[in-house]
Amino acid sequence: MELRHAQKFFQVFLVAVLAGCGSRQETANPSSGTIELTYWPAPNIQEIQLADSLVHVWNRTHPAIHIRMQPIPVSQSTEEVLLAAIAGKTTPDICSNIWPGALHDYTQSGGLIPLDTFPDFDSVASARVPAELLKTFRSADGHCFQFPWKSNPVMMFYNKRLFREAGVDSAPRTYSEFLRDAQKVTRDTNGDGQTDIWMGERDIRPIWWQRLFDFYPFYIAASGGKTLFTANAVTYGDESAVKVFDFFQKCYSYGYFPRTFFQGGDPFLLEKKATHFAGPWEVATIEKYAPGLEFGVAPLPVPDDHQGPVYTTGDFKNISIFSTTTHPREAWEFVKFLVTAEHDLLLLEICNQIPVRGDLETNPLFASYFHRNPLMTKFAQQAPYTRGMDAVPDLKEIFDAISQEYEICAVYDRKSPAEAIRDAVDRTRSIVEWNQ
Amino acid sequence: MRGRYLSVKRKNDRQAYLFVMPYVLYFLAFVAYPLIFSIVLMFNRWNIVTPMEWIGIRNFVRMIHDPLFFKSLGNTIIFLLIHIPLQVVVALGLAILLNAKLKFRFFFRAVYFMPVVVSGVVVTILWQQLYSFDYGILNNILSSIGLPRIPWLVDAAYAMPSIAIMATWKNVGIYIVLFLVGLQNIPAELYEAASLDGASKAKKFFHVTLPMLNPTIIAIVILSTIGGFSLFIEPYVLTGGGPMQSTLSTMLYIYNQAFYFDHMGYAATLGIVFAIIILTVVGIQRRVIEAET
Repeated sequence: MELRHAQKFFQVFLVAVLAGCGSRQETANPSSGTIELTYWPAPNIQEIQLADSLVHVWNRTHPAIHIRMQPIPVSQSTEEVLLAAIAGKTTPDICSNIWPGALHDYTQSGGLIPLDTFPDFDSVASARVPAELLKTFRSADGHCFQFPWKSNPVMMFYNKRLFREAGVDSAPRTYSEFLRDAQKVTRDTNGDGQTDIWMGERDIRPIWWQRLFDFYPFYIAASGGKTLFTANAVTYGDESAVKVFDFFQKCYSYGYFPRTFFQGGDPFLLEKKATHFAGPWEVATIEKYAPGLEFGVAPLPVPDDHQGPVYTTGDFKNISIFSTTTHPREAWEFVKFLVTAEHDLLLLEICNQIPVRGDLETNPLFASYFHRNPLMTKFAQQAPYTRGMDAVPDLKEIFDAISQEYEICAVYDRKSPAEAIRDAVDRTRSIVEWNQ
Repeated sequence: MRGRYLSVKRKNDRQAYLFVMPYVLYFLAFVAYPLIFSIVLMFNRWNIVTPMEWIGIRNFVRMIHDPLFFKSLGNTIIFLLIHIPLQVVVALGLAILLNAKLKFRFFFRAVYFMPVVVSGVVVTILWQQLYSFDYGILNNILSSIGLPRIPWLVDAAYAMPSIAIMATWKNVGIYIVLFLVGLQNIPAELYEAASLDGASKAKKFFHVTLPMLNPTIIAIVILSTIGGFSLFIEPYVLTGGGPMQSTLSTMLYIYNQAFYFDHMGYAATLGIVFAIIILTVVGIQRRVIEAET
């Protein structure tokens, strides 16, 4: 009797397992004759809210093409989810959280559709994105697999109260000014021998993406807009990179940045550090979690002899269409819908994120928003001087190599900046060579 | 008669196969298939999304020239050298205490075992708070008695010993249980005979308890070695492998290669080589300890 039960249980179990291993099922269309497309936005509250509004409008005005919005499944990173989805052929039709640094992985596997194959791509893209910037989003084969959507330039946030209390009137513009102000701002407020207010702080663990908020934007700023590679050759082993390592080495060795981990919350929100390097998304965070905090935004500090505009990196997130789609033309129509000026205004209003547009400061549609949000104007002004990522493979490993050297040199002062940059470049070349 | 016997036997065989089948399926899916796949991967380049590319022994060549792999091996050995003796001494000491006729000894046994059942990530986050340079309880205690603060996790000299202390605390409960079983299996007559011979407590410990616990010690050293080689959660959560790669364990390095950098072939090569190293070390260890005893 028990055996018969066991057999039955095993049969049911086997059927369930085999059913689970079945191939992806097409989602039933809400009504016959309607095309259904799946759209994955980023899984944060503001972007879900934005996507919800846009999809609602689209579905009302386009009865023949139904969009099903589903935030990207939560994981350690969007890139992991998308790679797993490409491997499992479970990608959506459209995704608006494509990080250019990971694009090579997706295109190498044939996971994305080249958007420039749509006849109106050039006219739509050039009406929105400055030509010079658009070029940086083309892959090595000349195709454009991503539509530049939002730029989010990384800038310096500073705590006005902490600056004022230390006798600092304005945000530092150069390394010397930063270090001079840091000397005043960094202090022990309760006399216990421990520093309570720091000029700045960075996660000291050698985690590759942390360098996207210190070394990389500072290098772009110091070098006048250069990225790590030029025509697929490693070119960051220059004087600018050495100056950046030297600057951070001084920040740590003079005690202006702690060589430790902060516990119990964001030290900028807790007013334990006076400066913070982040994108415009931070404005909403500060307003929500530290409403009384007096803060300003300024371009990143640059070497004392720097000439010309101050560039930075942007935490670019773009839109792509996956090659698993059976309706590329309809998907492209939806992409165009997402990037209209009206919907870029919604991106600003709901998410406080900067669209990649050349007319942010001139288009009257955006004037009211920037008038109401003067801080965001700074990000809009910075947007034209923002660089993305090089379209090369293995960027994560390359940033890991830089991270290791940054830690040894800048954080722990065990190597000279020139030596550390030379070693980082050597390792980068080995990585590129190995992976060719 | 023989026909009936065969029919019953066949039925029994069928039942036996049915009962072992779930494990066989599990073994095929989660042990045999990954192992064979890893061996295939060793000779290929693969980043999950693109087709595999046959590269012969290039993954091995890369491994031989990879200083970080050898650095991670060195770090793992340093961890083992601190962790294993500490684990054995602490577990044995506590087991002897808990074997004595103490009040509430069952309560204390449960308390010492508790970290074993708590998630490794939770324990690690807890210790991150304890080890914090500026705000940690340990440094606050040191400061309050006039001693300097210790950079537990942010100095290359302290980071790995700090992790070893934490790992010992996390796992000590299971080894206390093993030692308690060993201690309770020592015949009381041996202690009585030693007492009649006038042996002191220390002599009883070194000449009765310790030799009788040898099989348990062997088991604990081997288990600690295998556990120590798989050091991952602690450096992953606490230090990310830093400072200056001093806590980059081999498992963490393999994980980074596979899941950060998508070098599945290279990670498989490191994984298989590392498994061979573990087997060799455990084999040598076993022979040496058995020969000694």
